[in-house]
Amino acid sequence: MKKIASTSHLWVLISGRNSRHGLWLLPLLMAVIVAAWMAMRSSTFVGSQNISNLIAQAAPLILASLGQLMVVLIGGLDLSVGAVISLTTSILVIDAPWFVVVPGVFVIAALIGLVNGLVIARLNVHPIIATLSMTSLVQGAALLLRPVAGGTPPALVSEMVNATPFGVSMPFLWVVASVICAWKLVHQSRFGLHLFAVGGGPAVARFHGIAVERVTVSAYVLSSTFAAAAGVFLAGRIASGDPQIGSLFAIESITAVALGGVQLAGGVGSVSSAVTGAVFLALLANGMNLENLSAFIQTVIKGSILLAVVAMQPRKNIGL
Amino acid sequence: MVTDKAPSLFNRVARMPPAYIVFLVLVVALWMTRPQLMNPNILGTFIRQVAPLGILVLAQLLVMNARSIDLSVGGVILLVNYMISSGGMDDMSLPMIAACALGVGLAVGLFNGLMVGKRRVSAVVVTLAVSVVLSGIVEYLANGKPPGNVPQTLRDLYEARPFNVPAPIVFWTILSIGVAALLKRLVFGRWISSIGENPVAAHYAGVPVQRTVILAHTIAGLMAAVAGLVQTASIAVGSVRFGPELVMNSIAATILGGVIFGKGSGGVLGPFVGVLCFSLLFVLMTALGVQEHGKLVAQGAIILLAAIVYGVRTSKS
Repeated sequence: MKKIASTSHLWVLISGRNSRHGLWLLPLLMAVIVAAWMAMRSSTFVGSQNISNLIAQAAPLILASLGQLMVVLIGGLDLSVGAVISLTTSILVIDAPWFVVVPGVFVIAALIGLVNGLVIARLNVHPIIATLSMTSLVQGAALLLRPVAGGTPPALVSEMVNATPFGVSMPFLWVVASVICAWKLVHQSRFGLHLFAVGGGPAVARFHGIAVERVTVSAYVLSSTFAAAAGVFLAGRIASGDPQIGSLFAIESITAVALGGVQLAGGVGSVSSAVTGAVFLALLANGMNLENLSAFIQTVIKGSILLAVVAMQPRKNIGL
Repeated sequence: MVTDKAPSLFNRVARMPPAYIVFLVLVVALWMTRPQLMNPNILGTFIRQVAPLGILVLAQLLVMNARSIDLSVGGVILLVNYMISSGGMDDMSLPMIAACALGVGLAVGLFNGLMVGKRRVSAVVVTLAVSVVLSGIVEYLANGKPPGNVPQTLRDLYEARPFNVPAPIVFWTILSIGVAALLKRLVFGRWISSIGENPVAAHYAGVPVQRTVILAHTIAGLMAAVAGLVQTASIAVGSVRFGPELVMNSIAATILGGVIFGKGSGGVLGPFVGVLCFSLLFVLMTALGVQEHGKLVAQGAIILLAAIVYGVRTSKS
């Protein structure tokens, strides 16, 4: 432990150590730098058209990352978000009216989260094993339902993403609404406080009378539900169903929260840090697209960033 | 659940790795539905196909016994496969090819080990990220089109049948015995089990925790490269798509075999039988006409069930 480090306010701000929100200067700074660099390279970047495009590109990742945040705060990990997103888009394009499929996907996602949470909290299975096997189950179901991309979601779903009520773009409203939801949950409610407590130490949380199991299950249900929202958004945006569309979302949402300073060991993080991480990733993707980098190289770069970031987050335990 | 008054036989059965029971059930199921498949030659061919998975499981059980996990094995296999099939190594001799592949596995394994052991990063995140990076590199190099063919020498080795047993099975068995000896007879094996039991206690008892974790990951990387060699020989062509399900299956078979993050009792034989279960499962599902996506669902369900059964049991004891 560095004594000096813990007393300097500037150091706390830069490193994010010793703070419960976890947000540190580096991701913010990197996001600003990427944005500035892109504004210089392309004159259309700051235009309202591109900004709203950018928000639409970032929205699904922001949604998924907010869900991932809930689980990471309690020291868990949800690898099934990507599969849930894929399944959601696949369900939305079955020929059924919107008032069946839209609530339907949320119910199914909540059920998936419920199973994840119960298996982890009550049956004592490691989160990684539980969500990894759930990934293959859900991914298989998505592929059974829709082997290749195609179909059209109900008109309302596309409308919900592409409309511009009162001149405000819909994706912007999605982001604002979900961030407010998550912020209320994490920072303004008893449940949020319990998330931090469980992440800090489940045993101690239990001694203080917190229903650890219920908090854990709720976190996984929320994570899946946020993923379903991301899936609805994506289905509306691409106006079809794709059983593979979510395949990178597990790793990207983990990257986003880790990048924002959320400690994967649990107990440290905030909505603002998750959003910062997601926005940075989206900006980076936008910039790399602008530079015409191959999608595969983009994956390599994102993976390397995740490695670099987690290498800067020292933990106590070795292993998982 | 298991109570104190339950007969000891039931206790003993309940404590066995799930793989043994699943294996028996599958054998009976196969025998009932497709008796004509119960023929040593046919089964040998089927089991030969899971030899890469079996070798991968050896890697997985090493790290999982030390409370870690390796999700990057799929990436290593992809890279090894690409190196061999892209044509750059056609005029190399077999030992050279093997050495290059092992070098890649060693490097990736060492990197994982250093990140997990020294930097103390979550093994899931590190190995997942490494896997993404590796497969991204391979897909970029391959540029969408599948790579070329595999050197004939590797093919011939795969097709060989010493004493009428397919060579990959012999190879897999020898490696399994090697790993079993490593875990049971060497001090290193004891270190791994003590870390699996309790890393903190192991540290205070003088076990070099860091070094052991790094070494376990390095060996796992090597094993993944070996699995990549066998896999490449078995499919005979290059491919940019087979990593993910192999990784899933390797974890699944290891859990089925009773090894789960240090708390396990399955040794090497349990996961070995776990792999055989997967072989039979593939045969059975193919025979019953289950499609590719249905297999994915079935696999997920099986892992989840095995983990639940095991999780419940370990929490009771």
